[in-house]
Amino acid sequence: MTNLSAAEKRIITAGPAPGSGRTAGLGAVLVWELRKLSSQLRAKLVLLGALLGPIPVVAAINAQAQAPKDTLFGRYATTSGYSLSLLILGFAGQWALPLLTSIVAGDIFASEDQHGTWKTVLTRSASRTTIFWAKVMTAFGFATVMVAVLSASTIAASVLLGGSDQLTGVSGQLMSNHEALRLVAESWASTLLPTLGFTCLAILISVATRSTAAGIAAPAVLGMLMQLVGSLGSIAGLRAVLLSTPYEAWHGLLAAPRFTGPLVDGLVVSAVWSVVCLAVSFVLVRRRDITGG
Amino acid sequence: MRRIIITLVLALAAIGCAAAIASAVGGGTSITRARLERSLPATFANQYVQQAALLGHTGITPASLQAKAMCEKGGPGMPDKGPGSDWICLVGWQDPNVPMPPEGYGKFELTVHSNDCYTAGGPSKLVGFQTINDTQGRTVNNPVFEFDGCFDPNGDDQPTGNSYPSVLQVTSTVLSADVSGRTGVQVSCGAGANGCAGVMTISDGTRSLGSVHYDLQEQATPTLSLPQAVPVDAQELTFTFAPSTGIAPPKPTTIPVQR
Repeated sequence: MTNLSAAEKRIITAGPAPGSGRTAGLGAVLVWELRKLSSQLRAKLVLLGALLGPIPVVAAINAQAQAPKDTLFGRYATTSGYSLSLLILGFAGQWALPLLTSIVAGDIFASEDQHGTWKTVLTRSASRTTIFWAKVMTAFGFATVMVAVLSASTIAASVLLGGSDQLTGVSGQLMSNHEALRLVAESWASTLLPTLGFTCLAILISVATRSTAAGIAAPAVLGMLMQLVGSLGSIAGLRAVLLSTPYEAWHGLLAAPRFTGPLVDGLVVSAVWSVVCLAVSFVLVRRRDITGG
Repeated sequence: MRRIIITLVLALAAIGCAAAIASAVGGGTSITRARLERSLPATFANQYVQQAALLGHTGITPASLQAKAMCEKGGPGMPDKGPGSDWICLVGWQDPNVPMPPEGYGKFELTVHSNDCYTAGGPSKLVGFQTINDTQGRTVNNPVFEFDGCFDPNGDDQPTGNSYPSVLQVTSTVLSADVSGRTGVQVSCGAGANGCAGVMTISDGTRSLGSVHYDLQEQATPTLSLPQAVPVDAQELTFTFAPSTGIAPPKPTTIPVQR
């Protein structure tokens, strides 16, 4: 009797025991999660928005008579397409990237609550661990694709529609177009790290609250809150540990001589946030009692 | 709903703890005087070379300018660190086309943001206004009038030792003497190292009216009271400066008297 209840408990909390029938591997569960994602209208709209959204933004800024000088790279945004793409990058990091990744990551766990499908999912032949990592990998994959599409679309739209002047870096130096293109691409690529951090934060919030709304909105709001806190001079020490700070680490790439200290710090900060958020989410998912519904 | 509230409260508590730890451990800002004094001249020099190219000035390179800066924030007695729009940098450079004033620098006003980037506005009398005319007569943006820059938050923070003197100027344009002939002259001591000190001698053209020792902090506009009453027949007073610290007007300054 004790053996049986132990086995029961194991099935309920951790899926099927190893060797008891067929267990789905990570690959199989991943394919299944990707299928769910690709049939989601929301995910498709986010990618479509990332692809087409930059075009009207670029056109609107280009049409301004006065350049937005109060923002970094805004001064030459209307005369240099490369500058324009970096101006947009500044805004993307403030709220757009955290929000866009959260639309998928903040929903991927909570949607099972919303549809009441945890019982169905967990009684299938896949362990909670496998399902957890498959969902995390799906969210990471989506974030990567989203950043790549948004970057490529913004850079292409800015360079094609924007001004043809050379890019002025943050040390006042002029750059060749070839070098500018490479640095702009590198700068956009550097935002992937904090975006993955926000992906993990969205996963944690969606696992903890079991609410899609909280999972999508809270990371974006927290991101803006972090921006606000980071801009206050009195608590400068706190700025270094905020997840919004790595979004500005690319400034060093545009300096002469270039400095990469903030990028390394940003890598560490993003990794720590990601690991902590995923660890807490993992424990929550593993320990969760789904028998009550 | 309860779960959401608990999570949010926990998140806020975690942020609060992190803030407490961060302010206890570090609290230090990366925005320092030394980093600005290294970054601003480099950025300025690059922008200045662009301006020289537009104006057709040849032989100007970032190295030939030998730009140096002395920066400070928020007046005397304020710590020279942290973000703010009250940073002032005195920048000196060498360009045969644009002679420097006697004090050897121009005053730049900086807004420094917490993300280690800044916007600097140059002195118009040395760098020109918002737009300039290029060699082909077109009106173009003046790259030095206002420009942006960023510095390495982990960059060299050793003091640069750059120092420029304050400039004393007489700001009164007319002297109003009261019935007993008492009056004072308003002066301004600009930004710079160690403020302004020296002796101001007063005369009405024929008679000496004594002298005043002044010792002023930088960025101050005090009124110096004259030691003797102004004679009833004096039309104007002449002030001669002998500075011991800082720069003072090299020629005597004459101001009319009003009663």
